[in-house]
Amino acid sequence: MNNTAIHTFDAIVVGSGISGGWAAKELTEGGLKTLVLERGRNVEHIKDYTTAHKHPWDFEHGTNLTIEELAERPIQSSHCDATDKHFYVKDSEHPYVQEKPFKWIRGYQVGGRSLTWGRQSYRFSEMDFEANKADGHGVDWPIRYADLKDWYDYVEEYVGISGTTEALPHLPDGKFLPAIPMNAIEKHLKESVSQHYKDRIIINGRVANLTEKKAGRGPCMYRNLCSRGCPFGGYFSSNSTTLLDAHNSGNLTLRENSVVKEVIYDDETKKAVGVKIIDAITKEELTYYAKIIFLNASAIATASILLNSVSTSFPNGLGNSSLQVGHNLMDHVVNEGTYGTFNGLLDKYYEGRSPGTIYIPRFQNLDGNTENPDFIRGYGIQGKGKRENWESKTTSGIGAALKAQLETPGKWKVSLGGRGEVLPNYDNKISLDLQNRDQWGLPLVKVHFEYGANDLAMMEHMTKASEDILLKAGFENVGSYRNSPPPGSAVHEMGTARMGNDPKTSVLNKYNQMHDVKNVFITDGSCMTSSGCQNPSLTYMALTARACSYAIEQFKNNLL
Amino acid sequence: MNRRKAIGGIFALTGIGFASFTGFKLFFEKASRGQLQNYENLLAELVDVIIPPTDSPGAKEANVHAYIIRFMEACSSNKDYTNFYNGLHDLQETCLSDYDAHFTDCSAQQKIALLEDLDGNVDTNSLLAKIDNKLRGRSFFTILKSLTIEGYCTSQLGATQLLAYQPIPATYNPITTLEPQQKAWATS
Repeated sequence: MNNTAIHTFDAIVVGSGISGGWAAKELTEGGLKTLVLERGRNVEHIKDYTTAHKHPWDFEHGTNLTIEELAERPIQSSHCDATDKHFYVKDSEHPYVQEKPFKWIRGYQVGGRSLTWGRQSYRFSEMDFEANKADGHGVDWPIRYADLKDWYDYVEEYVGISGTTEALPHLPDGKFLPAIPMNAIEKHLKESVSQHYKDRIIINGRVANLTEKKAGRGPCMYRNLCSRGCPFGGYFSSNSTTLLDAHNSGNLTLRENSVVKEVIYDDETKKAVGVKIIDAITKEELTYYAKIIFLNASAIATASILLNSVSTSFPNGLGNSSLQVGHNLMDHVVNEGTYGTFNGLLDKYYEGRSPGTIYIPRFQNLDGNTENPDFIRGYGIQGKGKRENWESKTTSGIGAALKAQLETPGKWKVSLGGRGEVLPNYDNKISLDLQNRDQWGLPLVKVHFEYGANDLAMMEHMTKASEDILLKAGFENVGSYRNSPPPGSAVHEMGTARMGNDPKTSVLNKYNQMHDVKNVFITDGSCMTSSGCQNPSLTYMALTARACSYAIEQFKNNLL
Repeated sequence: MNRRKAIGGIFALTGIGFASFTGFKLFFEKASRGQLQNYENLLAELVDVIIPPTDSPGAKEANVHAYIIRFMEACSSNKDYTNFYNGLHDLQETCLSDYDAHFTDCSAQQKIALLEDLDGNVDTNSLLAKIDNKLRGRSFFTILKSLTIEGYCTSQLGATQLLAYQPIPATYNPITTLEPQQKAWATS
């Protein structure tokens, strides 16, 4: 075989994170010879979770990063520690330009950020898909809940999401494993909220941790060390599931250390023909060819690849006739958090460490009774209750008296944090800095993002509401961190190649297919037309499975 | 305008006098790293006063002093390192002037009195203290006590003997009734 033949596949998937893993699984199981390109190193399930079985005393400096490690990670260090830092990039090796403060949290390895994600999994509702149309922000979604419902079912059954059915129209139920139950303080808070409020409730968080064994993985061992990678396969990651199934299909080729430079476009056939990569180690440039290309590099990286893919037909970047590529960047607006302690239930404790949370679903602007005068759309609140321990207790004195304080469980403490919908805004964008390049000669990404008035009003409201919820439940020392974290902190960046009906104002059609280039599909966060307030990974997975089904059908009918 | 007067004016406005400015500078005389290994014995005595052996091992046996040295050398800010280093010296000087002895030679009661005195001077919660921490780094005793607790509770002896350590719980029982004398979990 000549080199081109060796380098030719039915499909190429760029990225192996939560959506790329799904594309790999669906395409390979659909019979397509598929190449997955991952810019980072390989991480083999279990074998490469190097810290997973370490005890606290096995870390030289506890969970603390050294000064040197911090200097290499000025951005990532707020999201990682000594136990999981190897699943986060070194900022020093992967610079980007913050035109305004924006945290771009990244994990360049096979599995991407699916290894370290928060695992919260909530469906978008009909209200979310109609939101843009209803209030005129952004463009209308080209799909509705009914288009995605069966795909949510499909991915939830595979992923394994624990939760409860609640019959809320704005937070649809799914195919759930038994929920991770609430502890004594969480139950107390739930009861208090149902007593004191008509508009809000507390439910068990819906998390991708296995409360029951699934074929080949789980159940969760309640260590709450998920971000180190789980040697029991207790939670969903690409490494523990989709990539293994893709591999087992016999149709997967995985190439790590492959930095995608650009998608190659043929002006004559009006199709993408392949991608150019740079080997991250040798810096060698190589080309791979395929009939279908899925971009799943994550919202910012996917947009940067498109912008860097310049041709005669697309001088502004591949599939960018709308000039929307890179624009409408969204993250969720988060507050730093609210906390309070509770002087009671001191005879209650728990055994095992829950990776779960409690969740207060959106309760603003749902209908005429919940309209908020200061902002549109809404937010949800995630929380967790624990008894204080040596890490969080305030202690006094020294000696045996100090030991006695450390030895006993402290007061109950609950922490709450809001996640709010950010409106699509053309001015929030990523672009390329052609003057400054990385070690592979690729232009640096510039991020320009600012919260709007609506986002900030929501942030204020979520903090006050959280404090009110704790105060009404009898908590003491209720307070909030008033400095809001910079945008990007929710690690939910999305929207940079949005779906829409109109090719003039959107990049992708209702099947996540580029309006301009029919054999390129984008199913990572880039595709999101609005942000909802739900943690978005579940929606990326459902959209990916749906788009793959469509792409396979088109491929088999020779339409791509 | 007279330059000296102009500078004086600035400090008058910000409420900081020259005297304190000088003190401030002295305070920030930066200690160079790599020196704490020489204080290992002293630190071992100090951590054992803060967390002494009782029915569970003390911090010295748990090697907490080594943890503190590793942390301070590799992880601490320059301000904290300097404060810690200077604090060790101040403590030794206080020892010599108050008890005419090195800390390691002091009686158990004297050691406790010395550290309790330092503890009494620490005010971690007031707004002023928080601003002060930001500006000048944490105080010697604040660093020493918090690292002793952290080092001990994450050590094998501390986590498994003072506290209850379960590496693999396997199940989650969300509501249990606390047994008399039940120990707190070592990890969360």
